[in-house]
Amino acid sequence: MTGIEPARREVFLQGRRAILHSLPGAATWGLVSGVAMVKGGLTVPWAIFMSLTVYAGSAQLAALPLIATGMPLWVIVGTGFITNLRFVIYSAALRPYFVDEPLRKRAALGFFMTDFTFTLFMRAAQEGWLPGRHRDAWFAGVCSNNWITWQVSAVTGIVAASYVPTDWGLEFTGTLALIALVGPALQARPALMGAIAAAVVALLAHGLPYRLGLFVAALAGIVVATLADDWRPRESPVDSGSTS
Amino acid sequence: MNEPVAGIALAVVIVGLALTTFLTRTSFLLAGSRLQLNHRIEVALRYAPVCTLTAIIVPDVLIHGVAYDFSPLNPRLIGTLAAGLWLCWSRNILGCLSSGMIAYSLARIFL
Repeated sequence: MTGIEPARREVFLQGRRAILHSLPGAATWGLVSGVAMVKGGLTVPWAIFMSLTVYAGSAQLAALPLIATGMPLWVIVGTGFITNLRFVIYSAALRPYFVDEPLRKRAALGFFMTDFTFTLFMRAAQEGWLPGRHRDAWFAGVCSNNWITWQVSAVTGIVAASYVPTDWGLEFTGTLALIALVGPALQARPALMGAIAAAVVALLAHGLPYRLGLFVAALAGIVVATLADDWRPRESPVDSGSTS
Repeated sequence: MNEPVAGIALAVVIVGLALTTFLTRTSFLLAGSRLQLNHRIEVALRYAPVCTLTAIIVPDVLIHGVAYDFSPLNPRLIGTLAAGLWLCWSRNILGCLSSGMIAYSLARIFL
């Protein structure tokens, strides 16, 4: 390869501009994840290592209390896995747009895909302003800006937090960040019912060894949410007249 | 209470988390073209994160050590309520975190 085609470069820069408005959100989220990692008990080098390799705020925040209480590997990784399950849906949705790209490029685009960048990509696709050509370059532009912003703010949070006394209680920001993530999702009725079930079971089953209560609670929540989703009134005209 | 995960074990945990994140993110992007997502499974996957995170948050707020703490003076509960109220009013993450942290800190100092 002898340099980048000008049209491709232009689309890449378009992508970088398209994500600008959501960068403050990414920066806040990165900063808090950084602070919470250090206040959750990780040393600065480990926190930076985690931020660079995992690059998933919610999974990192979910893993922290488990790391701090010395849970076994499978419990921590298992928790990260179910927190990440939404990405499976994202990657299924992105698939048709990148199906002709080489394997390595698909792997790279997947690695850099996050809640923010996926949401933006799908909005562009649905509203019809996704570029017709060089979509991979456009998404690379979106993802690179998001990645840089998140990592810079995460490392800033990590370093800054190491100077803040522990008795300020800053580790609570990790919980608050998860609340900020979950809160808006609860507007959907099935999600709310699933969350209530998960909360009740999590409280009752807390005494189980290896945080098994967490898995039992998550599973109970998923079952309730899925059932509630079945009963949810459909908006499509075909279903709205039915009595079921 | 167990010792925190540290050293080599911590490295393995972090690499494990990185791998599961990579595998979920790339799953369908890398899979063969015949793979299809069943509707029921898709619905379950959609609600899994919210349920899991709730199962992490709620005990974190309402259980102190090994004992339940439903007291209205529980600082974490007060912080959570403040953050939740903020979220009802605005989607702003920074405001949510600040209001929750301020309420939590005030409750810890004065109650």
